[in-house]
Amino acid sequence: MRLLRAYIKLVDAFNGAVGRVMTYGIFAMMGILLWSIVSKFGDQPSLWTLEAAQFAMVAYFVLGGPYAIQMGSHVRMDLFYDNWSLKRKAVTDAITVICLLVYLLVLLWGALGSTAYSLGYFGSDSLGFFLGLITGTEEPGTLERSRTIWRPYLWPIKAVLCVGILLMLLQALSELCKDILRIRGEVI
Amino acid sequence: MSYELIALLMFASMMVLLFSGQRVFGAIGFVAVIAALLLWGERGGFDIAFAQTIKVMRWYPLLTVPMFVFMGYIMSESGIADDLYRMFHVWMGGVRGGLAIGTIGLMVLISAMNGLSVAGMAIGATIALPELLRRGYDKRMVTGVVQAGSSLGILVPPSVVLVLYAMIARQPVGQLWLAGVIPGLMMAAMFVIYIAVRCKLNPTLGPVLPVQERAMPKREKFRLLLAGLLPLAIFFAMMVPFVRGWTSLVESSAIGAITAFVAAVLKGRMTWKVFDTSLKNTLGITCMFMWIIVAALAFGAVFDGLGAVKAIESLFTEKLGLSPWVILILMQLSFIAMGTFLDDTAMLVIVAPLYIPLVGSLGFDLIWYGVLYTITTQVAYMTPPFGYNLFLMRAMSPAEITLSDIYRSIIPFVFVMVLALTMVMVFPQIALWLPETVYGK
Repeated sequence: MRLLRAYIKLVDAFNGAVGRVMTYGIFAMMGILLWSIVSKFGDQPSLWTLEAAQFAMVAYFVLGGPYAIQMGSHVRMDLFYDNWSLKRKAVTDAITVICLLVYLLVLLWGALGSTAYSLGYFGSDSLGFFLGLITGTEEPGTLERSRTIWRPYLWPIKAVLCVGILLMLLQALSELCKDILRIRGEVI
Repeated sequence: MSYELIALLMFASMMVLLFSGQRVFGAIGFVAVIAALLLWGERGGFDIAFAQTIKVMRWYPLLTVPMFVFMGYIMSESGIADDLYRMFHVWMGGVRGGLAIGTIGLMVLISAMNGLSVAGMAIGATIALPELLRRGYDKRMVTGVVQAGSSLGILVPPSVVLVLYAMIARQPVGQLWLAGVIPGLMMAAMFVIYIAVRCKLNPTLGPVLPVQERAMPKREKFRLLLAGLLPLAIFFAMMVPFVRGWTSLVESSAIGAITAFVAAVLKGRMTWKVFDTSLKNTLGITCMFMWIIVAALAFGAVFDGLGAVKAIESLFTEKLGLSPWVILILMQLSFIAMGTFLDDTAMLVIVAPLYIPLVGSLGFDLIWYGVLYTITTQVAYMTPPFGYNLFLMRAMSPAEITLSDIYRSIIPFVFVMVLALTMVMVFPQIALWLPETVYGK
């Protein structure tokens, strides 16, 4: 149980810190869009603002997602849920959170595959590819670029997505740990 | 197994999971990925969930969501709407039921500055409602006024709900927003007429304010009128560059968010607490929306792959022999039934991917349907016993207003809204005239 508590503390602190930084991301988006307007009055409208703003928004909600779980912002259908006792909520959540975990795992698997693709790996063993990149046995191939005039590389944003989904997964596990502690009658 | 059966099974298992109280995006996403894996095996099954995040990234108008959410929070948290309320108070107080009519006006202005109905309801319930009660207004009537008024929030542009609708229906956001303008104003006018007539018949419902309460120097009175210009200024700062084609929709939403922020700073209302709460809530609401959309798109993609919409359409038109209009009306009724036990985001993402393509394939205009959809969901949230708005209202309003007051207060306004809905259904031009005029046919 001490292990569970330590895990919860670690993950919540980390995701909370990431989330609080991400709350300021709204200003990054505003700044990019403002620059996009201003640059229209210059000689040449900027070509990168549209995509950069999109990247910023994706980073905002994927990296901020775990913090939103902590704040309880992700809506539930609370028609019955609201009237249950704390213990009953914990038991139900501990079971149904498996659905959330499965969804996030599939999402993560897709994200890893897509990131490997953006680094020029077209096979199906994306984990082996990343391992190879680290040990030096694999080399990045043709890097995927966005099909726009700006043509940014896509692997950075995909890597951000992988990290964000992984953090979501860790946060969902932390919620499971909290439910287990609650079921055992401990106070969180 | 036939495709209809698979579709039905997906739907049923999702409902069961939703009722278990798990986070909505987890429940929807889980059903979607399991169905995809079972149907298409490893390769396609694994990719379909992640592909939706890329789709969301590529869908530019979605950037308006965080902007308008931020704007709404800045407004409701910083209290820059207080002056607006005082303006209506002073200028409308002399009329029978004037404060209630003024509250509708307040709601229209707030709607023009933000895209969700929650902000309007928060401002109405915390600022207007206590004042109205203190002045001896009938509590049942004014509770209804605030709820009905706040429903304008997602009809008058900017509207976040219409942005999400646009994504699912693959329709231009700008046209949808313009389509909401006239029905929104029409509905506001109908509320005003209703209040005025009732207060004329029964003056005790909305007593005239005593003169000494309204007495203030002329200069002061006109200074207050300036408060009313602030929301209009924000609205035009957003909409004029957009309509003139200088900025895109998303850029305009950023202008709106920035001007609202600057206005709050200039008025000295941007304390650290307001700032912090607004930022946190914006992140929370945006994440909630986005994760649900990503999950719902995956669900929709599986449904698309199954051809479920075609199957359901043929079930209605060929096997049951119903005409398109009967189907449309049945759909509207089912919305109201579902709205009594589903919450608003859940309705939007569960029902819309199923209904919108169906409406399209029946040959109806999807811009027009967007307006119908919005009004219908609002009616649904307000219909007892389980309207989403009803509970929200209970949580935010003063203690003397009981749930049964709220239930009864809403009934006449629901009738007014259903009347408005019928008018838009019978005369589609109420919605379509403005977008057709601006964009050309």
